[in-house]
Amino acid sequence: MRTNKGNRRRISFLAMSLALWGLVVCLQLFKVQVMEYTVYAGKIKAQTMRVMDLHSKRGTIYDRNGDILAISVKAKSAFISNKEIALSQAVFRRAGTVLSLSHSQQIKIARRIARGEKFIWLKRKLEDSEYRKLAALTGSGTENDILNFVDEYRRVYPQKRTASHVLGGVGIDEQPLGGVELSMDEDVRGQGGKIRAMIDARKKIFHIKYITEPIQGKGLYLTIDSSLQFIVEKELHRGMAEYNAKSGSVIVLDSSDGSVLAMANYPDFSPEEMASASQANMKNRAISFLYDPGSTFKIILGAAALENSVCRPQQVFSCFDGVYHVRDRTITDVHPFEQLSFEEIIVQSSNIGAARIGERIGRSRFFAAISAFGFGRRSGILLPGEESGILNPEKDWNDVSLAFISHGYEITVTPLQMALAFNVYAAGGYRYEPAIIDRVDRIAQPRTRPRRILRPQTLQQMNPILIQVVEKGTGKKARIPGLAVAGKTGTAQKYQDGRYSSDHISSFGGFFPVPEPRLTIFVVIDSPSDLYYGGDVAAPIFRSIAEKIMGRYQIFPESLPDGRIEL
Amino acid sequence: MRWNGLNSRFFWIGIPVLLVFVILFAYSSLNLKMIDLGYRQQELVQMEKRLIEEIDRLKAEKAQLLNLDRVERIAVGELHYQYPQAGQLIRFQVPSDENQ
Repeated sequence: MRTNKGNRRRISFLAMSLALWGLVVCLQLFKVQVMEYTVYAGKIKAQTMRVMDLHSKRGTIYDRNGDILAISVKAKSAFISNKEIALSQAVFRRAGTVLSLSHSQQIKIARRIARGEKFIWLKRKLEDSEYRKLAALTGSGTENDILNFVDEYRRVYPQKRTASHVLGGVGIDEQPLGGVELSMDEDVRGQGGKIRAMIDARKKIFHIKYITEPIQGKGLYLTIDSSLQFIVEKELHRGMAEYNAKSGSVIVLDSSDGSVLAMANYPDFSPEEMASASQANMKNRAISFLYDPGSTFKIILGAAALENSVCRPQQVFSCFDGVYHVRDRTITDVHPFEQLSFEEIIVQSSNIGAARIGERIGRSRFFAAISAFGFGRRSGILLPGEESGILNPEKDWNDVSLAFISHGYEITVTPLQMALAFNVYAAGGYRYEPAIIDRVDRIAQPRTRPRRILRPQTLQQMNPILIQVVEKGTGKKARIPGLAVAGKTGTAQKYQDGRYSSDHISSFGGFFPVPEPRLTIFVVIDSPSDLYYGGDVAAPIFRSIAEKIMGRYQIFPESLPDGRIEL
Repeated sequence: MRWNGLNSRFFWIGIPVLLVFVILFAYSSLNLKMIDLGYRQQELVQMEKRLIEEIDRLKAEKAQLLNLDRVERIAVGELHYQYPQAGQLIRFQVPSDENQ
């Protein structure tokens, strides 16, 4: 009984102690779970939840055939967490043996480590081989803490320098710097996202929730044909070396709709190194080089004359034996002629003859024709940096303007404007707006309707004249045996430092095969040495390009040259 | 009677306790399973992303290997191919009856 009593007392004491302990636990739980709920919930969230930014990936850029011109790929960037200066310096020394860093970069990083800066980029967007070597260095735990990597996107241009001016490039943070990368950035860059991630004690994510989904940039399909672009660039470079010229541009258009198939410039640059390229090399001369067009402008003069019926192709004009005075100015011809017909003026490229035709057309009608061809305003191509050229308003023309504009002076144009002017002849009198973007993802870019600016009768009269230019005129070096090529040469003195210099701009524009042209090519060469006539410099480049690309477009000579066997 | 009382007490206390344990066990198992699935889902998401990136990397590599400048360098420099001369072009006219 005594024992039972004692036991019962002990049991009661134990029960009360347990109850008290339970009460304390419950009170503590109440305090933690209810009274200080927000404090602890916040602590848990801070430990397990992270809101992370997701970078968008730039869209891929393709040519018209779906070949990749620019693509973003994941790349590792290495940085130093400078927790201990001595350790960081040791890691940097070892990393320096596998990374290709310039001397100045090495000094810069070493100084930042010595200054005690906490976060220091070692090298961004490493090549795969560099990353593998660098990752192999991080053997010990200490180095793991010092040397870290982060994922970024690196823009790769697989075709290297091909179409560099059209593509442009991006900076280290994928910010657009030029070309379609800049003009179409809104579509290409995509949109960054945000996630809420839950992480465990080992900082491993075990659950994510998208706050905003990242949207990858759209795929961009250009009208450029990369194979053709490669050939055009190669021939342009060859021409530049042969004629020792300063710069040059070639534009190839699809005659049927004004799409740009190739746009090449010299000098060029590597899009992957755009941030360090010189301004002069980055300039897209095809749309921004301003020059006096010279005799290529006679195709506008001819169109204006025939459209306004001011003369017939056989009408004869006096050419004053090569010297013609207009007020206090003198116009000369390379080869003096006493008189020439309208047709011969174009074929022989007589400046005096052109001035005489211009005078007959008159200011208003000539100005209207020039405007209809789109001179004096931007073409609207989706590339940054396009110039509008200079076409003075008709009211500002002086007494000699008409005569000089007639043979391509007192007006400045861009190579693209001239290419589009030639394309009016190739496209049956219709003026197409140029296109460089074919489609964005699967959505075709809207195109403005072409506008007819030349009557069929004008084309019937002018096209044979332009063929004669190539067959027996100033453009003989553009001739392709067995193929009807129409074109016009141009040679103009270069206007620089407020006056016309001894440097020249040589150009040639043409289209083929006539009567159903499919390709329009315009070549302009700035300051060639020795030879400088358009027929001697630009026309051979035109021919070598045309010969190499015609097969790709199933364009074959109507008749085979002598000695060839037709099977 | 005494045993019956004990049995009855065990029944009324033991069974609910057992049920609570079963429920707690099921609940925690499900939670653990969900967490495990979360990890696996995350691994698969990461793998999908890695594979997409790998595809893009391979696409870039393929495009670099097909770079025309490189192809030309190999064709002309290593394999000694030659460009056709100007006018060196033969047209094959397939008769229409052979075409059918």
